[in-house]
Amino acid sequence: MEAQKAITSPVPISWYPTLAVLMLAVGLVITASFFIYEATSSRRSRSLAKELFTGAVASIFLGFGSLFLLLSCGVYV
Amino acid sequence: MPVRDTTEFSRTMLRFRFNLLVLAVALLSAPVLSDLVLTRVDRRVDLTSQIVRIASTLKIENTGKDSVSEVLLVFPERQAKNLAYLTAVSSAGKGKAKASAVNLPVENVNSEGMPPALVAYQVSLPEGGLGKGESFTFDVSAVFSHSLQPFPEKITQADTQLLVFEESAYFFSPYAVKVQSLTVKLPHPRVESYTKLENTKIQGSEIKYGPYEDLAPFSYSPIVVHFESNQPFVVARELVREIEVSHWGNVQVTENYNLVHGGSQIKGEFSRLDYQARPHIRGASAVRNLVAKLPPRAHSVYYRDAIGNISTSHLWGDSRKTELEIEPRYPMFGGWRTAFTIGYGLPLQDFLFESEGKRLLNISFGSPINEIIIDTLIVKVVLPEGSRDISVSAPFPVKQWQETKVSHLDVIGRPVIALEKSKVVPEHDQYFQVYYKFNSISMLREPMMLISGIFLLFVACIVYVHADLSISKSSASYLAKLQWEEVQSVIQQVNNLINRCLMVHDKLDASLRDLSRTGDVQACKAARKHADGLLKELSKELKPLLSILQTSPQAAQILPKVEELVVRERELQDKLMVKHTTVVDCYEKKVSGREIENRIASQQNKITALRQEVDDLLDFIDEL
Repeated sequence: MEAQKAITSPVPISWYPTLAVLMLAVGLVITASFFIYEATSSRRSRSLAKELFTGAVASIFLGFGSLFLLLSCGVYV
Repeated sequence: MPVRDTTEFSRTMLRFRFNLLVLAVALLSAPVLSDLVLTRVDRRVDLTSQIVRIASTLKIENTGKDSVSEVLLVFPERQAKNLAYLTAVSSAGKGKAKASAVNLPVENVNSEGMPPALVAYQVSLPEGGLGKGESFTFDVSAVFSHSLQPFPEKITQADTQLLVFEESAYFFSPYAVKVQSLTVKLPHPRVESYTKLENTKIQGSEIKYGPYEDLAPFSYSPIVVHFESNQPFVVARELVREIEVSHWGNVQVTENYNLVHGGSQIKGEFSRLDYQARPHIRGASAVRNLVAKLPPRAHSVYYRDAIGNISTSHLWGDSRKTELEIEPRYPMFGGWRTAFTIGYGLPLQDFLFESEGKRLLNISFGSPINEIIIDTLIVKVVLPEGSRDISVSAPFPVKQWQETKVSHLDVIGRPVIALEKSKVVPEHDQYFQVYYKFNSISMLREPMMLISGIFLLFVACIVYVHADLSISKSSASYLAKLQWEEVQSVIQQVNNLINRCLMVHDKLDASLRDLSRTGDVQACKAARKHADGLLKELSKELKPLLSILQTSPQAAQILPKVEELVVRERELQDKLMVKHTTVVDCYEKKVSGREIENRIASQQNKITALRQEVDDLLDFIDEL
């Protein structure tokens, strides 16, 4: 029984709300810049790589942000 | 007691006697077992709750020649069918040395030669067995569910509940018993009736039988105790406990109860008014509340049923436990039912451990509610998606199977290990272990699901913006739109070029400031040369764009503005060059700073005005 080690969550539970707010805020700012870019650039001057990159970064932040939001609300996935 | 009740009572007794007759016939065929003799048997029957607990201390002696390693405990089938829990503990040494108690293995044996009306359990003695002439003392604890019969079976709201308990005054055993005694502990001193044998005493709420001496094997002398008990008879027909493990830091327990009051059924009508006015007299047998003892640090506790939250519940806790007191929507009288759900979250680190490369969940099996009998208990352990090699270690035999559950953010569903046990009493509330293997990378499945979902949304937006959704590719408006888009993109490029020109202007200005600070004329000239080159290139790039605009009909409206912009920019450029040349010349001729200021003052004004004009034009074009 001595070999047993308690398993804890990878991130302390008390950080979840803060992490959720921070990551969602960053994610939403990047999302906003993505849509501003989509709306302001014309069809010819758009760069697909830039769009995909912004989208990917935004979705990483929004994904982790919403995960931590769910966890801090008590929906343990 | 009314007359009718008495006749009913004697009928019950008759039935009981008949059972005994069957038993006696069965006994005649029972073999005489071994040379063991019970030198002393003390039994204590606890009837203070709905669960019957019989604790016996047996002292056994081997009078034969051969060593014996097993002892049989025998129960009549009528009793055995309600036997929920049976353990034997050796009380090694006497009195204080009891701390070193050892659990003795007990197993059900259908010993050949045993009559079918008897059920035998075999207790294995510690290693070496019992040699000739040796004696050994051990404690047997037997717990029975549904062994107290309400009598009368139906009562009104105002009646108190009366129960009947049947037992043998003599220890029912395949061995001869030298000295024995029996104590029955009741919840109240109020006893309706009890069987009086020789050596029967009643002291307060305790009835003592014995001591009786030198009784033959299978001696049986029925006793019946009819007593008052208003203990709640809470029976869960079915309880489904779902334990869901999340590696993000929580063990969620959800318990679905299907309760019935298993005591005397209520007859006549129920008056809420009487009940509210004098709940202890008009409703003494009702179940008012239930207390659940949850593990410490339980959080997010809820109590609800099919129509929503039940608000009558109280929760308090300290470092050792959390207590939840819940009240059903109505007081439960005999035969009444209710169904509800309680749920709570537990911190992961209290229950999940890692050992030898495996993870193990160590959590209690039974219900947290006090003194409850569970007819069927199903415990489902929901492990995170990606768990494998699942195995269970339970302290008693259970039926088990596997299923899957699809929950939040799952792809293939979570593995569920289900355990089922019937006749569960609080003694079964022991820890069991579920072992499984899990790769921590699998924890990223849920965030990856979210990320890919959101990314798909972005991709959909990109596709929508890039896609050409018009149906007719040759219509005039469509072509005009295409041309307008081209014009827009050209104007965008013109704007960019002009902006780059303005940046070059700013650099020239900066070089002039550097000159006034350091006096390094050569560096300033080099900057001028570089700027000239850049501006030339930019104006070259600008030409084809302007010619495109001039040929495009869509650009007719915007063209004058763009041309004006280009002209103004050129003017601005020229003025700036003149100013630059003047200042550099002055520095070469060593003219004083004030003199330079005077000379370029008029130029500077024009430059500022032009710059303002260019900026305005840029803004105007940008807003198209």
